[in-house]
Amino acid sequence: MSKSGVAAMTFEFAGTVQGVGFRPFIYRLALKHRVNGWVLNRSGEVVIHAEGNRDDIVRFEHDSLTLPPTKAAPILVHRCEAQTLGLRSFRVLESEDGHDGHPWIPKDSFLCPDCALELVTPSNRRYRYPFIHCTQCGPRFSLIERLPYDRCNTSMRAYAPCEYCSREYRDPVDRRFHAEPVCCPACGPGLALRHADGRALSAGNEIATAIELLRAGAIVAVKGVGGYHLMCDALNGETLARLRSRKRRPTRPLAVMFPPAGPDHLDHLREFVDLQVEMAIALTGPERPIVLVPKAPAPRRRLPEGIAPGFGCLGVMLPSSPLHEVLLRDHGEPLVATSANLSGNPTVTDERRAETELHGIADAFLHHDRVIVRRLDDPIVTVTNGTTKFLRTGRGTTPTEIALPECIGPPVLAVGGHLKNTVCLAWDRRAVLSAHIGDLNSPGNLRAFERVIRDLTELYGVEISRVVCDYHSGYASSQWAQRCGLPVETVLHHHAHASALAAEYGQTQELLVFTWDGVGLGDDATLWGGEVFHGRPGSWRRVARLRPFKLQGLNRAAREPWLSAAALCWDTEQVWPALDALDSDSVVHRAWERDLNCFTTSAAGRLFDAASALVINHCHSSFEGEGPMRLEVCAAPITDDAPLLAVTEIADGFWEIDWRILVPMLLDSTLTPARRASEFHASLARTIVELSSMLRARLTFTCVGLTGGVFQNRLLSGLAREHLVDHGFDVVENRTIPGNDAGISVGQIMEYLGRRDG
Amino acid sequence: MIRGQVTLAHGNGGRLTRRLITEIFVPHLSNPALDVDTDAAAVRINGGELLMTTDSFTVQPLEFPGGDIGSLAVHGTVNDMAVAGGVPLYISLNVVIEEGFELARLERIAASLGNTARACGVAVVCGDTKVVPRGHGGGLYLSTTGVGYRVASSELGPQAIREGDAILISGPPGEHGTAVLLAREEFDLRAPVISDSASVLPLTQALADLPGLRFMRDPTRGGLATVAADIARITGRNVELDQSRIPTNVQVEAICDMLGFEMLHLACEGRVMAVIEAEQSRRALELWRQFPGGADAAIIGRVTALDDPRDSPMVVLRTAVGGERVLEELEHDPLPRIC
Repeated sequence: MSKSGVAAMTFEFAGTVQGVGFRPFIYRLALKHRVNGWVLNRSGEVVIHAEGNRDDIVRFEHDSLTLPPTKAAPILVHRCEAQTLGLRSFRVLESEDGHDGHPWIPKDSFLCPDCALELVTPSNRRYRYPFIHCTQCGPRFSLIERLPYDRCNTSMRAYAPCEYCSREYRDPVDRRFHAEPVCCPACGPGLALRHADGRALSAGNEIATAIELLRAGAIVAVKGVGGYHLMCDALNGETLARLRSRKRRPTRPLAVMFPPAGPDHLDHLREFVDLQVEMAIALTGPERPIVLVPKAPAPRRRLPEGIAPGFGCLGVMLPSSPLHEVLLRDHGEPLVATSANLSGNPTVTDERRAETELHGIADAFLHHDRVIVRRLDDPIVTVTNGTTKFLRTGRGTTPTEIALPECIGPPVLAVGGHLKNTVCLAWDRRAVLSAHIGDLNSPGNLRAFERVIRDLTELYGVEISRVVCDYHSGYASSQWAQRCGLPVETVLHHHAHASALAAEYGQTQELLVFTWDGVGLGDDATLWGGEVFHGRPGSWRRVARLRPFKLQGLNRAAREPWLSAAALCWDTEQVWPALDALDSDSVVHRAWERDLNCFTTSAAGRLFDAASALVINHCHSSFEGEGPMRLEVCAAPITDDAPLLAVTEIADGFWEIDWRILVPMLLDSTLTPARRASEFHASLARTIVELSSMLRARLTFTCVGLTGGVFQNRLLSGLAREHLVDHGFDVVENRTIPGNDAGISVGQIMEYLGRRDG
Repeated sequence: MIRGQVTLAHGNGGRLTRRLITEIFVPHLSNPALDVDTDAAAVRINGGELLMTTDSFTVQPLEFPGGDIGSLAVHGTVNDMAVAGGVPLYISLNVVIEEGFELARLERIAASLGNTARACGVAVVCGDTKVVPRGHGGGLYLSTTGVGYRVASSELGPQAIREGDAILISGPPGEHGTAVLLAREEFDLRAPVISDSASVLPLTQALADLPGLRFMRDPTRGGLATVAADIARITGRNVELDQSRIPTNVQVEAICDMLGFEMLHLACEGRVMAVIEAEQSRRALELWRQFPGGADAAIIGRVTALDDPRDSPMVVLRTAVGGERVLEELEHDPLPRIC
């Protein structure tokens, strides 16, 4: 074939190419370069037949890879010469069901700038329309029933597009050319506002009436993209108290949604908090996450204490859908937006369950009739030391893709931990992290766990051949693995933590990783949680731990920090006066002495619990990590003279950090609580640095990892990072994969992969 | 290839015990009469049918408020027969004694065993005695086998359970486990808890003719939770329990709160759980409440369908404050050697 003659090529693109406007982009590119042929979705891929002048095809291919739409991430997986067909135009064809495709599933996203502008333009057809979106934005994963991504495979199939929308869909130069869920007020989903007693309220004027209710102090359940929120006036202390009492959520902080204002939408929020630039970027991103922002020392306006009583951070967000955008703009003041569920249960996603499960909690319901196919909670982000970290994945971030360093072989499912559960499906060189499932003690979450597994495998068309679970056989996830009938491999909880961190930074070098959290079962029948590992996924070696101590009360100890404090005092034979009242009959002490219902643990999380009980008398927690969070708030600015903990080599190449000198300091009532709290954090941070420096002389690493729930503590991780960097270490922390137990499933996959090679 | 060693948890009556049985013993012992899901096996002899059950006892301490290892051995054997819908007639007795054991104490226990057997209407008809060297046994171990006949329908069993059936318990759970614990660990609490150790034969016989009786079991090791988990697992249906309806001994509850035990995992030795067709459940309750051992009987839950046939069955506990949690069978026993 001559160099400039007529040619035909087939291109197959995988990666993020569906639901992101890639086909319309290809269509326009074909027109631009005078290329004929067709483009279609096949399973999760886009297949192109291009024919014309060879030079034009080369330019077409080049542009397709270099100029794709913002959200697209095409990977050219196959290209070959094809037969010329003598086509005279370029067309977007019907999707084909593929057999061996590599589907990539698009994520939900907040409004693009173009749609945001239309939303506030009175002359626009979709002015104030709560379901406006285009090829570049809107709901995706939350409404996809199956692939390929066509309207008939989403919950938008319930709405037949009107003549106007159909024209846009067919018009190659329109923004909504081939926008699968295209709709408008004439043909798309609508709102319905109902009183808790079942009465329908104000058809056609739902948002205005909802705002009247909110202003009057009502709690309104509002249906969003991936589930319902309970919303109420964030400035009304009485309403907050009512919400907390009805939801049985006495202290846990409530997320607050702020009205968009100013050029970057953050002006209203800035009246309440000081935003660092990374926070502003996260807040306005297409995921619209909840961002944890420290309370400002002297804000212009304050939220009531009841939003986050005694906590150092506020969970804030901007509207997460056009419905919320209109609602918050009209309301003009911040609203609480907490997930709508009974404590511990999954967030409700459909009208019927909302009205039954939230009976007695919500005063009214702002429904819409677009079906939520997949429950997605709001993602949560924190910013420490200029690093943005996801603490929870969800709407806008799910499905989270992880590129594996090599092909995993037959598909593997990792079923994660027991609390903050997620699952991770891996095949080829891909791993996909599920949405957040949560605490598997909840029947609803346990049911969701099984459904998410079915959903992921069906959606991606992957047949699992092996399951990886935690070493602890009592986890509901491990029990599912044992029952499922497939070969099972177990991974230690803290190996999974270390490997989840390694997943984000490649596996080329050996790391030293501090995995500090609550508890996870170790291979020596003790409960780990203050461990230090050296190595890489599949070959971690435990090189240090916190000194283990005996703790009475199994699961109760996590809810009652005073048990950890008592254990440290009994262990070191120190007197804690508060114990006289807490253990008045000495029953717990006797049980502790006699090893009754006791376990041995090296968990840093329990050490923090103990400190919170000893310093600020936080003896009972209403949620995991509450004590340490309050302790952190109480800490004074750090002094440099915090004591260094003793580190001893207790076996060949195995070191132990001895926390015992902290106990008399924590009990010393001549020191202020602020002083004690800050010394506690500073001591541990200094010890992390000292231990790393000492191990550097013996082991090969330059990079120190900090992972596990304990490092969500900003003070500890901030201090440790700062000093480690001063000492010439690179510091790695979790970013897109949660460093808490929600990342365990990813770590299990990495560990499996690493082990197989080792 | 089976790896690892036996741990105390393998004897706790929970998940590990079940795995020990199904993975180690059943493959070698399989035969038509072997049934690991019921308390007594039906065997045919000369055209007639016998029920047969066996049990061994390693409780520490040997004597505790409300009973001793002798009375416990009789009650344990009688109860296994009773919940299988049978009436026990004869018991065999094997005694393993540690060198140095006080004879007077042995006689006290023998007397207790004899009195309990007479009260239950069973005869100890054969036995064997072994003595092991000092340090090789916890003072005294007993092992018994019971033989009897069936009075309830032969349909009685977990396979008879239907959706909507009610779940009953004859009295508050956990008293035996708590009583033994307190006796063993020498806690000096003002009000002791007394073991519920007793024959449940009057209770099971009261229901034997009731139409709609599906299944009975005495919640011993692993407690009420483990029986509920068995029902869910064997029937492939959900079990929903209502915490506020479960009769509760407040002292047991207080001890559990203090020490971090799950009350529903603690052993009983004189309670029955029954699964009964919903319409008959009121009647069953009336029958039970006529007996001292059934005065606190209650309907505590029901068997329900799975939302989706692909879901795994589970036990859901509706908590007193209106929440829900998954009730797991016993994993690691906080209290070994309770019976």
